[in-house]
Amino acid sequence: MDALLALSNELAGAVEQAARYVVGVNGRRRFGSTGVHWQQGLVVTADHTVEVDEDVTVTAPDGRTLTATVAGRDPAIDLAVLRVDAGDLAVAEITAEPARVGHIVLAIGRGPRASWGLVSAIGDGRRRRPETGDWLSLDLTLYPGFSGGPLIDARGRVVGMTTSGAARHFQIAIPAATVDRTLDELMRRGRIPRPYLGVGTQAVRLPEALRERLGTDQRTAVIIVDVQADSPAAAAGLMVGDVLVSLGGTRITEPGDLRAVLHPHQVGETVTLSVARGGEPREVRLTVGEKARRA
Amino acid sequence: MPLDFAGLADTLRRVTVEVTDDGAARGSGVLWPRGYVVTNAHVVRRSRVTIGTLERDHLQAHLVARSADDDLALLRLVGVELPTATVAETAARIGSLVVAVGHPFGLRGALTAGIVHAIGPIARNGVPWIHADVRLAPGNSGGPLADVSGAVVGINAMVAGGLALAVPISRVLDFVRSAGVAHP
Repeated sequence: MDALLALSNELAGAVEQAARYVVGVNGRRRFGSTGVHWQQGLVVTADHTVEVDEDVTVTAPDGRTLTATVAGRDPAIDLAVLRVDAGDLAVAEITAEPARVGHIVLAIGRGPRASWGLVSAIGDGRRRRPETGDWLSLDLTLYPGFSGGPLIDARGRVVGMTTSGAARHFQIAIPAATVDRTLDELMRRGRIPRPYLGVGTQAVRLPEALRERLGTDQRTAVIIVDVQADSPAAAAGLMVGDVLVSLGGTRITEPGDLRAVLHPHQVGETVTLSVARGGEPREVRLTVGEKARRA
Repeated sequence: MPLDFAGLADTLRRVTVEVTDDGAARGSGVLWPRGYVVTNAHVVRRSRVTIGTLERDHLQAHLVARSADDDLALLRLVGVELPTATVAETAARIGSLVVAVGHPFGLRGALTAGIVHAIGPIARNGVPWIHADVRLAPGNSGGPLADVSGAVVGINAMVAGGLALAVPISRVLDFVRSAGVAHP
């Protein structure tokens, strides 16, 4: 029983560690969510739990209420970053070591509350996201209010941010490296830019003949039904009726995929789109734009 | 070093009983203190109940004390010597591993494992409960929630929001003491 006891103590110690940097986030009308004091003055949480841009507060581990401002959002990965005057609040220990399938992990919610389980898969079983590193699928329960909290290893180090809002039927975590990348973007530009293409799309089935010509077994793609004037899509020469099959090598099987594959750091970068026009495959180079900010 | 959940299960099965009241299996109980069984108040409805262990059935026990507020009941075993559980001396820590043994849906001696999720009241200003991320079902009521050394940290009482709720061992000690029963 010694090994069990050692593991048990390690898990309890990990929760105590995490409790020093886990905060409550009060950004929606229903019950609050959880956040991680990721870097000095920056709290990371789940975007879907911050429904407002103003009057957001953060509850520190000692119960103090801190005023927060939304520093940026990346809805593609369900990430929001809050700026807080954190004072001497502990900063999370982030590990760059990638999580592996089978690792024992803990999800921590405000309070602290804890839930344990395993990394059950890398990826959410549907999309691969080579750009960002895949999401972690978890075999554990994310209880109400856990979203935005840390996924920690048995040493108390943060391996990701949990969210139940980004994928139906899955308990997932955004890997720490992905969160770091978005925070870097925030530091570099002073904001998290939102990628913009300027197309409206609908899902479309790929007939077998077209699949063969494209050399893919992909069954669906999206068809462009609108190209906004003066948009990156217009500049790249995309036209209504073009069938968009992949972007930057990642399959686009439904309109939601476009949002999921585009990340803030790609704003200003050129990506290659695989398109079928009149049944003919072609490649289109497009420079990703930035969505205008709300006034 | 192996993680010996099986050995832990054996230890706890020896001190976990099935409580039958009015002819129906109602839940579980813990053999503690010596000569007594602690269980939930909602498991016991009459003053005489039947106890079953791994080896023996139809053992008699009398109700000694009952507290609906704490959801605890204390039974005295009649004319039989049985092993006694070990109770934890310190409070459970959030995140620590815990196991539950009981008879969910009549499945005798079933083991489930998880961690302590939180310790706190269910309602505002209420008394603290152990909230555990452990799967329980009807039949676990009154059974032990134990740490991985096999020491009982709480008495399982209900399930809420998918979480197991257990009466912390400190409240069980107070209850047994107030019933006038000495314990080591």
